[in-house]
Amino acid sequence: MRLTVKLFAFFRDGRFKEKGREYPEGTKVGDIVDDLGIVREEVGVVMINSRQSSLDAPVAAEDVLAIFPVIGGG
Amino acid sequence: MNALGDFLGQKTSDGHIALIDARAAAASLHLSLAEVEEQALLLDLMPIRYLRNCLSCAQQLRLLRSRVGIIGCGGLGGSVAELLARLGVGYLRLVDPDVFEEHNLNRQRFATVNTLGQAKVESGRAALLAINPGIRVDAVQAPFAENDIRAVEVVVDGLDSAGRRLQLAEICRRQGSPLVHGAVREWYGQVGIATPENDLLTSLYPLSPKTSDDEPAPKVIAPTVSAISSLQAAETCKLLLGIPSPLTDHWLSCNLLASEYEHIPG
Repeated sequence: MRLTVKLFAFFRDGRFKEKGREYPEGTKVGDIVDDLGIVREEVGVVMINSRQSSLDAPVAAEDVLAIFPVIGGG
Repeated sequence: MNALGDFLGQKTSDGHIALIDARAAAASLHLSLAEVEEQALLLDLMPIRYLRNCLSCAQQLRLLRSRVGIIGCGGLGGSVAELLARLGVGYLRLVDPDVFEEHNLNRQRFATVNTLGQAKVESGRAALLAINPGIRVDAVQAPFAENDIRAVEVVVDGLDSAGRRLQLAEICRRQGSPLVHGAVREWYGQVGIATPENDLLTSLYPLSPKTSDDEPAPKVIAPTVSAISSLQAAETCKLLLGIPSPLTDHWLSCNLLASEYEHIPG
């Protein structure tokens, strides 16, 4: 199935800003994070179709997945 | 206050009152400068310090009677403190255990070669009172505690650890205080208002433990700190003045590298 993945802030470094990607049925957000080589602890907000979601959530064809990093400095 | 009213009435020109005259009134009537300026605002006399603020005397009076806690006085907290002092927020409580170190010089408002080794809150307090002697500033050189959040209307998040931010958000939620969150890293930052009705910080830091563990210090450039702290100060001012903001149910993601600023549903 094909979905759109949007990355934010430094998650774009060496990756991309927005891309259509193929994943098998049953894929969860966390699997995509792993596939992108992102450390799960660095993930802050994830959104599927502009609604807050979680790493355990399954994704579906045509979904737009947005992944934001944790920003922690002051 | 009649004597003060008469004094101010004689000294005013065009509905403004100069610092030198407010100080003279305070000295002759044994009042604090804050008391004199509060009375001036009640009489619709604007201290010249606030003349270019684009706020009414009633709004300026509201700010002067406001109390804000700034938790963490490094990059974000120090800059927010300066902006709130210039706006005329009447009471600021600065809370931070640290002293200035050389690696703070790239971005922290009150870090100078002369303040290295000094407590951030004490240096900040001195600098703020030099900017605006008409406000009160308390300096608490310690990690924040529940007491530091009491008796303030708005709390500003100037912390640098996800775990401590979650602890602060929990205390603010219990006490019903809005928390003006800001965070920075490299060219990126975020701003939002955590209220008792939303769970903003748990959304932003979903996997972070609620402990005060030591996290590696993230790198950040001064323009990011300046941008995010300015937004925090504006949101704090709006909360104090009762001006609605979309950032109570959205948070703002800022990317200074790509010049992208997006409201994200909270």
